[in-house]
Amino acid sequence: MFKQLIKPFVSYKYLLFQLTTREIKARYKQSIIGYAWIIFNPLLQLLVYSFVFSVIFRFPTGGIPYSIFLFVGLLPWIYLQTSLSSSALVLVDNSNLLKKVYFPREILPYSIILAKSIDLALSLLLLAGFMLFYRIPFHPAIIFTVPLLLLQIILMCGISLLLSSANLFYRDIQYVTTLMLLMWMYLTPIVYPLSLIPGNLVWLYKLNPMVGIIEGYRSSVFNYPFDLGTILWSIISSLTIFILGFWFFKKSEKVFADIA
Amino acid sequence: MFNNFPSIIFKNVSKKFFLQEDKTFKEALPSLLLGKPWAKEFSALNDISFEIKCGETVGIVGNNGAGKSTILKLIAGVTVPTEGAIKVNGNVAPLIELGAGFHQELSGLENIYLNAAILGMHKKEIDLVIDKIIDFSGLAGFIHQPLKRYSSGMYTRLGFAVAVCVNAPILLIDEVLAVGDVGFQKKCLNHLKKIKQRKDKIIIFVSHSEQSVKNFCERVILINQGRLLDDGPAKIVFDKYHQLNSEKV
Repeated sequence: MFKQLIKPFVSYKYLLFQLTTREIKARYKQSIIGYAWIIFNPLLQLLVYSFVFSVIFRFPTGGIPYSIFLFVGLLPWIYLQTSLSSSALVLVDNSNLLKKVYFPREILPYSIILAKSIDLALSLLLLAGFMLFYRIPFHPAIIFTVPLLLLQIILMCGISLLLSSANLFYRDIQYVTTLMLLMWMYLTPIVYPLSLIPGNLVWLYKLNPMVGIIEGYRSSVFNYPFDLGTILWSIISSLTIFILGFWFFKKSEKVFADIA
Repeated sequence: MFNNFPSIIFKNVSKKFFLQEDKTFKEALPSLLLGKPWAKEFSALNDISFEIKCGETVGIVGNNGAGKSTILKLIAGVTVPTEGAIKVNGNVAPLIELGAGFHQELSGLENIYLNAAILGMHKKEIDLVIDKIIDFSGLAGFIHQPLKRYSSGMYTRLGFAVAVCVNAPILLIDEVLAVGDVGFQKKCLNHLKKIKQRKDKIIIFVSHSEQSVKNFCERVILINQGRLLDDGPAKIVFDKYHQLNSEKV
């Protein structure tokens, strides 16, 4: 199993690299502002959410400017959302390839997640700019965002493997994905703080693995104490989802060419 | 170094597909509850056995839907047999059909790298043969243009150039030569003949053009309705093929 897991990154790393660059290069061809969309898109979302939730609703964010509070949660969320909605389609879009050549098929969803990581990296520069503007200090705890991001990637890989292969069997999955992402976003403390969740429901709310991850990012950036129990649950559930996803993907991989 | 010689062995291979019929939920639910199978079985290949050794060039012929493409898929390893065993020794380079593995918005050059990577090559290996590929395709003047500006003939040239230059020991060629113009077709056939003379590869050739199969392959396998009808010298097999088709008329 371990050998199978790392195969795409060892024997097929150049293919992974090629598919990732294809994904990045092809996306903004024949558009006027091109790669600027990578920055423009989160910036616009930020403006809308900031207006709605800091001017109209006025969520309490504990002294942190709302836009920074939001951005720390919103950027990783956009990363997850764009990765999952694209990877749900990736096997269907490449069905010609599936019928012709053999390579470990998980490279296709992985290439999407890698390509979207570049977007995330660029938009993080925007966040850094905002933090400088609002004079938010950079604490050493910010280093903990790295393992949290890795955890998020493991979770995303697991879900992508599930969605992409399931969508090959039934195209309903791609529509379900869009809906699921919308609901999931409002069940995760992104536009609002966790403190707004009623105390008797918090345990249920925290079953969502993204709660621990997003709260973890906020703890690292704003130097709050970490909610270790919730993060531990995120680790356990993300790893479980990844193992399930990988197992399902590898099981169904054999018939991809027959049903694609 | 026995392992360096490519070989293909099919042993009693059968392949069944499930035909998934479009059903509405209202129709599907009763059949599910009554335990009826949710899809029809379709037998694409039935008890096929053959062996191809290093240096052989084999044509596969048969009417539409006979199972030729399924055999190629099984050799390429993209699908698995329902019964029987397949042993393929050596990397397989399928000639990728128009469109697959190419991206419209990327340039010809970028597509060469992409396509060669899909066929299992690494960057350094591609760098070594890139000039050869461009030269062979005859598209040097268009190589930085996005693929969507290419004609379908130019597509084929590019795909063929990559497939023959990747140096995989097993080449699968499926009916694609028909697209290029006469000059390019000749060039391809000449190149394939050169590969053939070196006797270190396996070439599988699927075509409806009797002339090119006879020209190119000594051995031909005839498939009809998923069964192997004949396997032998081109002339004898084609006689049988003609006989089969005249019986039908």
